[in-house]
Amino acid sequence: MTMRLHGILGKSDDAAFARRLHHLEHHDGIELLFVPPADVGRKRFRLTTDRGTDCAVSLDRDEELTDGALLFLASDRAIIARFGEQESWRLTPVDQAAALRLGWNAGNLHWRVRFDGDSLVVLLDGPLDTYRARIRPLLESGEVVERDAVR
Amino acid sequence: MNRLSLNGTMAKSRIAAARVGIGGPVGSGKTALVERLIPALLERGVDIAVITNDLVTAEDAERIRRSGLIDPARVSAVEAGACPHTVIREDPTLNIEAADELERRFPGVELILLESGGDNLASTFSRDLTDFWMFVIDVAGGDDIPRKRGPGVIRADLLVINKVDLAPHVGVNIERMRQEALAVRGNRPVLLTNCRRGEGIDAIVDLLEREVLFRT
Repeated sequence: MTMRLHGILGKSDDAAFARRLHHLEHHDGIELLFVPPADVGRKRFRLTTDRGTDCAVSLDRDEELTDGALLFLASDRAIIARFGEQESWRLTPVDQAAALRLGWNAGNLHWRVRFDGDSLVVLLDGPLDTYRARIRPLLESGEVVERDAVR
Repeated sequence: MNRLSLNGTMAKSRIAAARVGIGGPVGSGKTALVERLIPALLERGVDIAVITNDLVTAEDAERIRRSGLIDPARVSAVEAGACPHTVIREDPTLNIEAADELERRFPGVELILLESGGDNLASTFSRDLTDFWMFVIDVAGGDDIPRKRGPGVIRADLLVINKVDLAPHVGVNIERMRQEALAVRGNRPVLLTNCRRGEGIDAIVDLLEREVLFRT
């Protein structure tokens, strides 16, 4: 199913959208459309969101796509453009107790994650250091080991 | 097309025509490709117009106007007066204005083909000008062209290798050339054509329908 989107509704951090987007964040309703750097200037592009939604996007000639541009907003879903490739951060807990603590933290912090064997792969929406800061005790104690931070 | 407004209601908004660039070296078959794309697109019901770029003449535009393939009024000419890449990359204003003018005269136009003048392997289109662009090379130019990794070959949304029928006559292994092209382009699209006979054109139109016109 392709979503045909035209135009930019606004910025995802606009105060006017804050309440609705915050609500959607808590209901698993935010989809991110990662736009590769080389495609940023396009007025038409077809890309797939992090949830697998095929999006056919067009902009008016005088519109500029920006990081955080809100492309779609409905009661149950929003689609936001993000620049660059999806960065991820792979974490491996040393034992079950550490895994429980890591999972508890990741869940409460609303991190977007994927499970990969004995690792938790965090999909980053901001600078890595801000994520590290949230679980620094687990990292410094060695309960959770950083494997890599990759694109 | 509908655009969601802030309060969730829908508002009508006209969508600008898609702009598709065609670049490549002199003699690679850009105009021949345009002459094949016109009927193929029209056959699929796409409302089109064409802009050609020449150095100091309107020869390509005249060739297409006389072809009988399209209403001559839908063909505009831009004379670069300098290296062709200057008007498709550094300052595409002339081409942008030509495209805007075609859209004003033909409000229903869905796709505008912009053919660059023949240039070298470093030729690329500005994203301000085109939504999608293809780079046309031909087998007679040498099978080493993809390996040379020119920006045109690497960055184009589609690489077209034309005149495949000549491959046996110029000692080119077309499959190896295609594989090398895919390798340097990170597996982004590479299509083979013989524009003289119209071979491979449908695959290009299929790609345009999916990636630019969003019909599939």
